[in-house]
Amino acid sequence: MIKLPSVHIGRLSLLLSILIWLSLLFVDLVRLFGEINNLNSGIAPAVTWTLEILFFLSVYSFYTRNFQQNANNEFLNLIWRSASTGIFASATFLIIQLFYLFLGDSNLAEEPFLKNFFYHVHFALITVFLISTTLLWKKLILYQKTKKVVQQWQTFEIGLLVAMFFVYFTQDTFGYSFIFAFVILMILGGFLSVNLKWIPYLTYKEKWKSLLFLSVILLTSIYLFLQANALSGERQIYPINLLDNLFLIALYVFVFIYSLFSFLVTLFNLPTSSVFEQKLTEAINFQRLSQSIQPEENEENVLDILLDSSMSASFADGAWLEMYQSEKNESITQVRWIEKEELPELSDTLESSQAAQEWASSQKADTLEPFSLKVKKGKYQSLLLVPLVINKSVIGRMVLCKEIKDGFNKEMINIISTFARQASIAVENHRLLNQAIENERYQEELKIAQRVQKALLPDRLDHHSSFEICAYSNAADEVGGDYYDTFQQAEDRYVLIIGDVSGKGTSAAFHMAQMKGVFQSLIQLNLSPGEFMIRSNAALSKCLERNHFITASVFEINTSQKLIRYARAGHVPTLYFNAKSQKATYLESGGLGLGILRNMQYEKHVDQKEFTYHEGDVMVLFTDGIIEAKNQKAMQFGFERARSLLEINHSLTPKEIQAMLIDTLHNFVGGNGLIDDDYSMMVVKFT
Amino acid sequence: MLTIDTQIENTHHILTPSGEIDASNSVQLDESIRHLSESGARSILVDGTHIDYISSAGLGVFMSYLEDFQEKGVSLKIFGLKPRVYEVFQILGLDQLISIFPDKESALAQ
Repeated sequence: MIKLPSVHIGRLSLLLSILIWLSLLFVDLVRLFGEINNLNSGIAPAVTWTLEILFFLSVYSFYTRNFQQNANNEFLNLIWRSASTGIFASATFLIIQLFYLFLGDSNLAEEPFLKNFFYHVHFALITVFLISTTLLWKKLILYQKTKKVVQQWQTFEIGLLVAMFFVYFTQDTFGYSFIFAFVILMILGGFLSVNLKWIPYLTYKEKWKSLLFLSVILLTSIYLFLQANALSGERQIYPINLLDNLFLIALYVFVFIYSLFSFLVTLFNLPTSSVFEQKLTEAINFQRLSQSIQPEENEENVLDILLDSSMSASFADGAWLEMYQSEKNESITQVRWIEKEELPELSDTLESSQAAQEWASSQKADTLEPFSLKVKKGKYQSLLLVPLVINKSVIGRMVLCKEIKDGFNKEMINIISTFARQASIAVENHRLLNQAIENERYQEELKIAQRVQKALLPDRLDHHSSFEICAYSNAADEVGGDYYDTFQQAEDRYVLIIGDVSGKGTSAAFHMAQMKGVFQSLIQLNLSPGEFMIRSNAALSKCLERNHFITASVFEINTSQKLIRYARAGHVPTLYFNAKSQKATYLESGGLGLGILRNMQYEKHVDQKEFTYHEGDVMVLFTDGIIEAKNQKAMQFGFERARSLLEINHSLTPKEIQAMLIDTLHNFVGGNGLIDDDYSMMVVKFT
Repeated sequence: MLTIDTQIENTHHILTPSGEIDASNSVQLDESIRHLSESGARSILVDGTHIDYISSAGLGVFMSYLEDFQEKGVSLKIFGLKPRVYEVFQILGLDQLISIFPDKESALAQ
């Protein structure tokens, strides 16, 4: 495959058009030479016509390519290109005329060959001007094109193509058939000429410029026409008429009509141009407000745009914007064109206006509309109060001021309230986004807390050949207040602890950490369970908040004596399965939660007990989350259910008992039912 | 859901919480009791007949006033607790510190 770069085709058509023009010139000059010397040169007019058509086509293709490559499609630029071509052609014409004026009556002035050369130059310039302008008009006509317009244009182009060949058919310029074909082309051209959609998009200044360019085009085209007409009159000098071509005449009239239409429409568009510009600005402002705030931007940017847009939409002379903080003390964030000294006065005016106060205290924030206020004295005679509403509450207001009476009409108020609503949405989105980011950060923090807290629970439990042990803990929230631990105090002495901080969540988690600290240090003192509770109470009373307490159970297992000593501080009684009697019961004892009585009175409530254990006995320590877990019918899991479950399943290993209890608990609560409290358990089986 | 109703009967202020008292609404109970205490109530009776459940946070509220009331000589009595709710007081040992009565008559008799 041979690929020809498009640039080359453009240059090729330029080269081709120059060559064709030169051969056209040559053919015509040869013919002229023949006529002058009364020799039959034998060149038929059809040769000239064919070359002429080829010239048209090559110029057409050159400009089509040229405009496609040229990306600058601004309307003014297009019109200017056409105007400049016209000026160039007219200037060349003028220079040639001056040249002849300068020659005066000399022989050279009558030289037919020179005249014919200039005639061909004229022809080429007119063709270039008309074809390039037509192609530029094509761009304007097809701006915001519809299928129908494109079809019309294509028909017009085909018509023009056919018109080129008209000269073979008849040379009778302005004969009936010529006029008939011409009228058809002009009807098509007229239909196309109403496509002037580009004009409203010009700014006021651009309209004036385009008026200037269009008048240049009109003038040069009139001048070129008159010149061409004068040349056509001297038929005897020019052996063949190049200019009286249906194609050229049709193009000429089309270019003229479209330029005239554009000129007139632009002219009459001038007075309303500012309205269109205004609407366009509003649309652009609206779009700017609609774009949600980027994370790196802030609310101020949006409010800035809101204030500017609203001022330009209402031609306000001054404005300010105030956002209400949480405690209703207003903070003025933006002020435009209002002196600092004027502001308090204006605020006072608003404060003293009963209607404005009524408006401000209106309960239905979501239906609050902008409120227009007349002011009798002062610089500003009309004020417009615009509320900024988020989520049914007024977060701020914008006040626009104008120096004239009744300065705000319905259209302005409509567009401004739309602006305000849009800005409010943008601000709300921004706030929500910030909240979401913050929440995300808290979630991260909680995850860290969760990890740290998991580390507070032992990852391995102390155990002895005479008992098996396992434990489990689950928090209702990310972090919880349950705690369990084991300690080996001596070769044959182990301590088990389970504790539960009142409440749940973060505060419970902090107290749980304190509880661990207290327990870890007291356990070193080899205290009896009862004494341990008394000391713990004293220590914890100093650090727990007044309405918080901790419940705990402490078990000391002496493996050589097979003796268990325990004390309960308000904690859920421990479930104990006695292998001898094959019965499970809760270990009874008195006791009071830690931190409830914060003085020496606590000692009175401590109740330490002891008993001996036997092989096969099972002890289940848990927290109230298990007992109080509720199912969908609001029934609690309860002590009895746990008790009978252990009685039935006592022969399992501690791990199996634990899994069984948790599974049953989850089944009881139900599929999606969440257990609303922290729950933990420790299962010990004696061997 | 927790609603708290207060009534004055002779010299007694009767507080009637209805529903479940847990971490989310224990503040409500705390406010009601503080309000009574600040308004100079000498005898506060809590009608527990409509309490369906009380969590440790709810118990913490009663607990936090124990010393305060003892110092000021304010009497706090609870009556009519459902067995399951009473059990919670009992496990924690609060029944040893707060006077709990089966019904209003016995509470007023003491």
